[in-house]
Amino acid sequence: MVLNIALLTGLVLFSALAVLARDLIKSAISLAVSSLLLGIVFFRMNAPFAGVFEISVVAGLITVLFILTIALTKSEGEVGESKAALWAFPIFFVVFIVIDALVMKGLMNKVPALPGAAESGAFGDVLWKQRTFDLIGQLAVILAGVFAVLALFRKRDNDNE
Amino acid sequence: MNSTWLLYMFFAVGLIGIGIYALLTMKNLIKLFIGIEVIGKGVSLALLATGFAKGNILLAQSLVVTFIVVEVCMVATALALIINITKHTKSLDVRKLTKLRG
Repeated sequence: MVLNIALLTGLVLFSALAVLARDLIKSAISLAVSSLLLGIVFFRMNAPFAGVFEISVVAGLITVLFILTIALTKSEGEVGESKAALWAFPIFFVVFIVIDALVMKGLMNKVPALPGAAESGAFGDVLWKQRTFDLIGQLAVILAGVFAVLALFRKRDNDNE
Repeated sequence: MNSTWLLYMFFAVGLIGIGIYALLTMKNLIKLFIGIEVIGKGVSLALLATGFAKGNILLAQSLVVTFIVVEVCMVATALALIINITKHTKSLDVRKLTKLRG
């Protein structure tokens, strides 16, 4: 439990660093580290498939996409964030965490346990047999993403002609 | 629901708070998108923690895997949009996107 709390604290701290870091590359790397910590938390919750996806896809692929975008847009110069936003973050964060802790403490023993049937079988059975409709939606989303990226980059070619 | 679930929820809400702060205060388009990513991390942690607390970890895992795939499509599309916007306005500043303002 102590290790889990340490991992989750690191996750929150690296996410905060990703939002606050001045250098965009450092932000992207912090985001990757926080994904890695989240993946380890998933492994410790007995969810190996979600952990593998989190580490390989979110920490790997999305970081590569972010760094590629940062490299492609680097020539346009940096955007100065307002100093007030950076200075106000610790105050906001402490107030938010205190409110969060008070709400969670208030909810202790008040949230009723939802009825849940014990699961059996393997992950594949649940994914392919119970969530079939989700998978159709997922295919649609992937196709939509592919066509959106194609359309966005085709538009730029037309502009150049 | 037990105290372990509330502990995970505490951290998930913290992540969502950080993301909302980034969305409210940042001006760089990529920073705004990193805020959305942080919110997504909080949501997937909340999903999996609830499945873990209820003993439905397989169903929660399949939902999280679906969510991650959708997230990747969203990232690809949004980053392509950001590159196009940057080529158009010559800046990453979200305040330059005022052409649609009434």
